[in-house]
Amino acid sequence: MSAYLGQIYAIVWKDLLLELRTRERVVAMGAFAVLSAVLFNYSIDRTAVRPQDIGAGLIWMTIVFGGLLGVGRTFHLESEDGAFRGVLMSPVPKDAIFLGKTLSNFVLLYVVSLLIVAVFMLFFGMEIGTSPAVLGLVLALGTLGFVALGTLFAAVSSGTRMGETLLPILLFPVLLPMIVAGAGATERLLAGRPVSEVVGNIRMLAAFVLMAVAAGAVLFRFVVED
Amino acid sequence: MSGVGVARAPASESPESATAAPALEARGIVREYGPVTAVAGIDISLQRGEFLTVFGPNGAGKSTLLGLLSGALRPTRGDVFVNGTRLDFGGVDWRHDVGVLSHQGFLYAQLTVEENLRFYGRLYGLRDLDRRIPERLADVNLGDRSNSFVGQLSHGMRQRLALARALLHDPDVVLLDEPYTGLDPSAAAVLRGVLTGLKDGRRTVVMVTHNLGEGIALATQLAIQVRGHFAWKGSREDVDVADFERLYHRVVEGRA
Repeated sequence: MSAYLGQIYAIVWKDLLLELRTRERVVAMGAFAVLSAVLFNYSIDRTAVRPQDIGAGLIWMTIVFGGLLGVGRTFHLESEDGAFRGVLMSPVPKDAIFLGKTLSNFVLLYVVSLLIVAVFMLFFGMEIGTSPAVLGLVLALGTLGFVALGTLFAAVSSGTRMGETLLPILLFPVLLPMIVAGAGATERLLAGRPVSEVVGNIRMLAAFVLMAVAAGAVLFRFVVED
Repeated sequence: MSGVGVARAPASESPESATAAPALEARGIVREYGPVTAVAGIDISLQRGEFLTVFGPNGAGKSTLLGLLSGALRPTRGDVFVNGTRLDFGGVDWRHDVGVLSHQGFLYAQLTVEENLRFYGRLYGLRDLDRRIPERLADVNLGDRSNSFVGQLSHGMRQRLALARALLHDPDVVLLDEPYTGLDPSAAAVLRGVLTGLKDGRRTVVMVTHNLGEGIALATQLAIQVRGHFAWKGSREDVDVADFERLYHRVVEGRA
C-alpha cells in the first residue's frame, strides 16, 4: 500500500512541480476567473437583479469553464517527448496514475475556485456568509468531482484530433447533478442560511465525488492502454 | 487497485524449468493495424546474457516489435514472456524487469536531470535514489549535469539521460530502439561504452538499429526484419562481418 501511495505522490509531485515551473494552467484559469467576474459585473443590471441571487450560479459557471482550461491541458506536457508513455510503461497501476493526476488537478482548481469566490465577492459586493468552512467544503467536493471526470475525459479527448472541442461535449452533461447541488448549496451559504439547509446538497456532492473517482479509477486503464 | 495479474508460461510451471525459462521469449507475435500487419508472427527466445540486434528497412515493423516486447503494445495474436512470466496488461510486476529506450526519451523538459530520474525512480518504487541516481548519471557521463533542465540539454545528452532512465531500476531485459540516431561520434562513443557494459552476462538486450557496424559489434544474435517478419536470423559467430552488408541488402531485396 505504501508503494501505491508513493507512486500517487510521485505523480502529484511531478505535476505540481511542472505547473510551478510553467504556470500555464493556473495563470490561464486565474486570468479567466478575474476577466469573467469583470465582464459579469458590467453585464448585469443591479437595479433589476440582485447579485446574491445569481452570484452562486455565476461562480459555478466560472469554475466549470475556467476549470476546463486547466483540466483540458492535463496531458499536454505529458505528450512532449512521449513522457506519458514512459509513465504507462512503468510498474504503476493505471488507477494510481488516475488518482495522482486527479489530485494534482484538484489542488490547482481548488486554489483557483477560492480565487473565483474572492473575486466575485469583491466585484459583486457579496458577503461570505456565516459558514465559510462549509462553503470551502462545498467547493472542495465540487471541484474534486469535476476534476475526477475532467481528468478521465481529458485522457479520452487528448488522443483525438478534436480534443479541446470534444472535452466539454463529453463532460458537461455528466456534470449537471454536481452543478445543481453545488450552486444550490453555495447560494444558501452566501445568503447566510443555516448549514442544516445544505446537508442534502453536501451529501449529493459527496456521492457524486465517490462515483466520479471510482468510475475514473476503473475506466482510466481502458482509455490509456493500447 | 490493479491486480498483479501475472501468468506463468506453460514451459516454466515447475521450479526446475522456471530457472531455465528464457529471459525474453516471444511466441508467434502478430500485430495488425486494421488491414496492415506490422509484425507478422515473430518468435524470439533469448537466454540471460544474450544480445539480439534487429536490422531492417524503414517500415519493417521493428519499432512495433519492440513495442510488443516492452508491453507498450498489445499483440493481436501470440504472447510475450519475460523471465517466464507472460506479459499481462492488467498487471504491473513484470514491468520492473524491463527497461526501454525508445525514439522518444520519456523525459520532461521542464524538470532537471535529477528530478526526471527521481520521478521515474519513485514510480518504480526505488528506495536508494540518492545513491542510484549519481551512479547512473556517472555511467552516462552526465554526472555534472544533474541540476540542468532537460530542455537545455543537447540531443546526445538527452539520449544518454534517457538511457540512464531506462537502466535506473536495473532491469533484466533492456530494449533499445535506434539508440544511435542523431548522435555525434563522441556521444555515440559514450553510448557504445554504456551498451557494452550491458553485456555483463546478466542482462538480455534487444536493439533495433540501422547502424550495421554498431549493431554487429554488440550482438550475440542477429536478425533482419522485412515486412513484419524475420527474413533472416543467425548467431553473430556464424556471420562474416565483412560480408554482412551484402547479406543485408540481399535479404531486404528478397534475393536471399
